[in-house]
Amino acid sequence: MTETDKINLIQGLRKQSPKAQQQALDRYGRDVFALVARLVTGTENVEEVYQDVFIKVFRYIDRYNEEKSSLRTWISRIAYNESITYLRHKSEPVVYYEDRNGEAEKLSDAEVDETFGQANAETVQLIRAALKHLPPDERAIVTMFYYEEMSLKEIAFVTESIPTTVASKLSRIRKKLYRIIKMLQS
Amino acid sequence: MKEDILNTLRQQDNAIREALRQEEAELPKMPADLNARLMQRVEQEPRKATVRRLWPWVAAACVAGFMAVFLMPPKDTVPALTMQKTSPTLPQYGKGEVSSEVSKVEEPVVAKVETKEVSQRTPKAKKVRNTQKNLMTSTPQETEVCNDLAIVQENEAVTPLPSGEGQGGGSAKATVVLTERDIPITRPENYKYTPEELALLRKQADEAYLKWVELELEISKNNLQQTAQK
Repeated sequence: MTETDKINLIQGLRKQSPKAQQQALDRYGRDVFALVARLVTGTENVEEVYQDVFIKVFRYIDRYNEEKSSLRTWISRIAYNESITYLRHKSEPVVYYEDRNGEAEKLSDAEVDETFGQANAETVQLIRAALKHLPPDERAIVTMFYYEEMSLKEIAFVTESIPTTVASKLSRIRKKLYRIIKMLQS
Repeated sequence: MKEDILNTLRQQDNAIREALRQEEAELPKMPADLNARLMQRVEQEPRKATVRRLWPWVAAACVAGFMAVFLMPPKDTVPALTMQKTSPTLPQYGKGEVSSEVSKVEEPVVAKVETKEVSQRTPKAKKVRNTQKNLMTSTPQETEVCNDLAIVQENEAVTPLPSGEGQGGGSAKATVVLTERDIPITRPENYKYTPEELALLRKQADEAYLKWVELELEISKNNLQQTAQK
């Protein structure tokens, strides 16, 4: 998508043009659906949140500032917030691993780097199991960083944080993942 | 600095990236008709938004309408108001010229009053009162005129003019001494019912009470009959 196409799309969205809205859905729909599906469980719930996200995008497009972020990042931010809000209001309790004693922080970086550097099947399966024990917001940060390859600045924009905080969180989450893997192994 | 380290780690952490790739592959697929359903919902949303945007204005218009209905003066006061609006505002009164100013302002009304005998003045005074009541509901300027009149009339009531002075002059007409009772808004007792009206009200209340008692009796009878049938 060229810059001109992006500008035209934003202008079309601001005019509430159905054509532009359809174009935005085609362009960003899958990413948004995936982002929501990572945080929210159940296809029906994901669809509900997905629809709410785009309703908000179309309604509040005038608040979008091109200088602050790309349209994709802005939409991701809405999707992230909408999913977190949905999880907070959901009545079902969810249990996650909480490193209360700060044991993960005591782990050495070399040990962690070595484990995550090996992409063997066993380690991958352990990481997948460990990811399920992370809170949704931490899982979303890891995915945004490793899978979507977003910059710290972009992640900070999506999570309404600052890049240094995101960097600290990522370091902590890595160690936490390693700690969970060790617990699963034992 | 920290971002560089993390970027390096991102490249090195193959296991995490592979795990995430597999996780993503297992995520539920987006339904093909989801966007179509969403577009249908989007088409319905603006209507709701318009309704939401409109209702405060509709409510405000209703309130304004009610206020206009309740605050607008009755139709019969309109001629009196228009008549009063044409008259100029009263100048500052000196003590000597008070009575003549009053007679000028009240000319159309006073002319009727002064020709009648004392015994017939009471109903006429009511007329004056009504006119003034209407005037009091008009603009602030007119209200001032009425207030000034009230003061003037009060002064007159305290120090009545000598009889010769009132009737003597050719152009100076006899002034009518109005009491404070003639200004209805400042004196709530003026709103009291006449004895005839009070008697009528009492009679109506008695009739209503009797009807209520009859109705209660009928209800009781009916209840008794129903109980007996059971």
